[in-house]
Amino acid sequence: MDALLLARIQFGLTAFFHFLYPPLTIGLGALLVITEGIYVYSKNEDYLKITRFFVKLFAINFVVGVATGIVLEFQFGTNWSQYSAYVGTIFGSPLAIEGLFAFFMESIFVGVMLFGWNRLSPKAHWVSTILTAFGSALSGVWIIVANSWMQTPAGYKIVNGKPIMTNFLHVVFNPYFSAEFTHTIMGAWEYGAFFMAGVASWFLMKNNKDMVMRKALKVAIIAGIFISVIQIILGDVSAKEVVKYQPTKLAMMEAQWKTQKDAPEVLFTVPNEAQQKDYFSIKVPYLLSMLATGNPYGKVMGLDGAIKYIAHKDHITNLKPSMFPVDAVYTTFHIMMYIGFYLAGIMLIALILFWKDKLYNNKFFLKVLWYSTFLPLLALEMGWCTTEIGRQPFTVYGLLETQNSVSPNVSVFEVVLSLAMFITIYLILLSFALFLFKKELKERVEGKDELNAKPKGV
Amino acid sequence: MSLQFLQILWFILIAVIILGWAVMDGFDYGVGGLLAFIAKGDREKKITINSIGPVWDGNQVWLILGGGAIFAAFPQVYASVFSGFYLAMMLVVWLIIFRAVSFEFRSRVENESWKKRWDIVITVTGLGIGFLLGIALANVLRGVPLNKNHIDFESLFSLLNIFAIVGGLISLSMFLMHGSTYLVMKTEGKLQQRARKYGTKFAYAFIIFTVIFLLISPIFAHRLLNNSLGILGDIMPIIMIIGAVGVILAMKSNNDIKPFMMSILSIIGTVASVAVGLFPDILPSTINPKYSLTLFNSSSNELTLIVMLIATLIGLPLIVIYAAYAYKKFGLKVKLDEDSY
Repeated sequence: MDALLLARIQFGLTAFFHFLYPPLTIGLGALLVITEGIYVYSKNEDYLKITRFFVKLFAINFVVGVATGIVLEFQFGTNWSQYSAYVGTIFGSPLAIEGLFAFFMESIFVGVMLFGWNRLSPKAHWVSTILTAFGSALSGVWIIVANSWMQTPAGYKIVNGKPIMTNFLHVVFNPYFSAEFTHTIMGAWEYGAFFMAGVASWFLMKNNKDMVMRKALKVAIIAGIFISVIQIILGDVSAKEVVKYQPTKLAMMEAQWKTQKDAPEVLFTVPNEAQQKDYFSIKVPYLLSMLATGNPYGKVMGLDGAIKYIAHKDHITNLKPSMFPVDAVYTTFHIMMYIGFYLAGIMLIALILFWKDKLYNNKFFLKVLWYSTFLPLLALEMGWCTTEIGRQPFTVYGLLETQNSVSPNVSVFEVVLSLAMFITIYLILLSFALFLFKKELKERVEGKDELNAKPKGV
Repeated sequence: MSLQFLQILWFILIAVIILGWAVMDGFDYGVGGLLAFIAKGDREKKITINSIGPVWDGNQVWLILGGGAIFAAFPQVYASVFSGFYLAMMLVVWLIIFRAVSFEFRSRVENESWKKRWDIVITVTGLGIGFLLGIALANVLRGVPLNKNHIDFESLFSLLNIFAIVGGLISLSMFLMHGSTYLVMKTEGKLQQRARKYGTKFAYAFIIFTVIFLLISPIFAHRLLNNSLGILGDIMPIIMIIGAVGVILAMKSNNDIKPFMMSILSIIGTVASVAVGLFPDILPSTINPKYSLTLFNSSSNELTLIVMLIATLIGLPLIVIYAAYAYKKFGLKVKLDEDSY
């Protein structure tokens, strides 16, 4: 293996592991704002208990997110020094601004929120929960600014072979930013809703008279039904932006090898990259043209046409179809999409059962909800894979190729060593986090939960 | 604003951000590094950990801000330093990862040997990060073998030279001194007495290592002899030592806050010494001074620096307000309750 491939594996792996955590910080954070808000205004203690229990899980998730996040900010420099030197004048600013405006807010108020229960009035405490959740969402804004700029670079001109910033607002509001941000944040909220619903269902399976968890499930489902439906619409919006700005990515997502006028939607396929065709596929005629262009006979660019398009537009002529990982992008995109539909369906059924007052006694459906707890996270990860692998062979779309981004002075040995270490550390962290999650759940069932406990007499 | 003015301003601002990190996160690492030695019994350990419990995470953001600010303002420096110091950087990252989860994980399981293990993690990560910081900065001061494309091909072992090790001992003793003074401020009784004793010892160590460093500088880092800022280069190390002497004297008084203030003074002296020692270089080349990265040849363009300056001028006061609120809510002396770690 060469250093480039290893660096890509390491970045992919560390980003994948990191991205397991922040969506829950954002999503569960938003739901905690709701549950604590209900407590503050209704004085109903059950909502305080919901908040205090889920804050315990939030805290475990939060620290692992913080720990794994630092790696990413350093890794642009350590493994992608050519990339950093090339785009740093533009790409660095959203990262620094994230620190200034979002990460400080989130990290300072999370301390106040976790440790300030006895030191603040309920309202003041709620404000610190709001600022934690808001800060984490704001972090998302700036990270997506940086990421979407890699997808659709804007607000720059090339001087001495390097892009320099000409308009900050164009950098921030680059063409893909709003679609990518709304789709990602909605995914995080969806995960938050399913997480709360799944955990509450687990408790209700043990004891369906658990009034606290009944309320938690109710809140999660009411939030979840809106979120999961809106998310499908935002997914469509996001894909239409890809049609406009990243034709090669769309061709990979949909396994469209050739440009067609009446493109079918490929529901299932096993792409054969070597021969640029499918082994086997199930298709719905006209559907992709309809989705992408709003016209069943609309022209959809295939991989062949998209490569020519980029060659013409960005003057990059060395691209070959074999450089485009159709297989990975098609598969991850479709897993994400199908999970998205499944989640909306589940929330719909949950709402109907809730309406008919049959939800809390339906053990089978509670089990379904429990098993669906982490599916939104899987969808988020798959969507992230689609976005980033679909950007290949570029790091900055149409501007900088991945092979020209890697650090020239980091050896294969060094990356192998660091990669092995990261895998070890991250598996340890993940298993500890899951172990502690499980422990908190068990302790609550066994009544060891300290929600009503007086101060321990320290 | 001219580009040159902005470049100098950003050089100063990054020094200020690093200073913010060293002052705010420095005592977190110091307290962590002291944990295994200074705290006897579970209650004292809890107090020690909870002295930084609600605030360490916010403090750590200074590091992230520092990384982002160097990336944005001096991209080539960020690229050359981080890739050149690859394994050392990775080591820092791994220590920070374990440090970040240690407090939370430790508190979640009521088991003697589980807690003991995490105590070791907290201590080792605190000591390790404190030591590695000085290693990195001393190597930057000495210069690295940057070639004409500003690429640094260097092994981990060449970073571990005597000059750098003395630098590492300076930063380690500085963080431990700083952590001790912080504990004097945040605790009472026997623990506080011990913190006074330890703080005094580390202040002496800090002075001794600083003097050794200054004495061996001419051998290892010729470039420090012809400082472009003249007299400033002599004043800053003196401030380091004045601060540490101040810590020693203040530890003898009954004042709980003064030692911490004196410790901050010596950290200001330290960061300023590095900044003045480098100016106008940021990463000197040992191959040829022409290949050095200076604040003039490695910065972003005017617009980026202006945008970042505006963001910083709005952002920094906000951070001070958040932090002041948080520190005020948790009071001067640690009080444990059921939410503590």
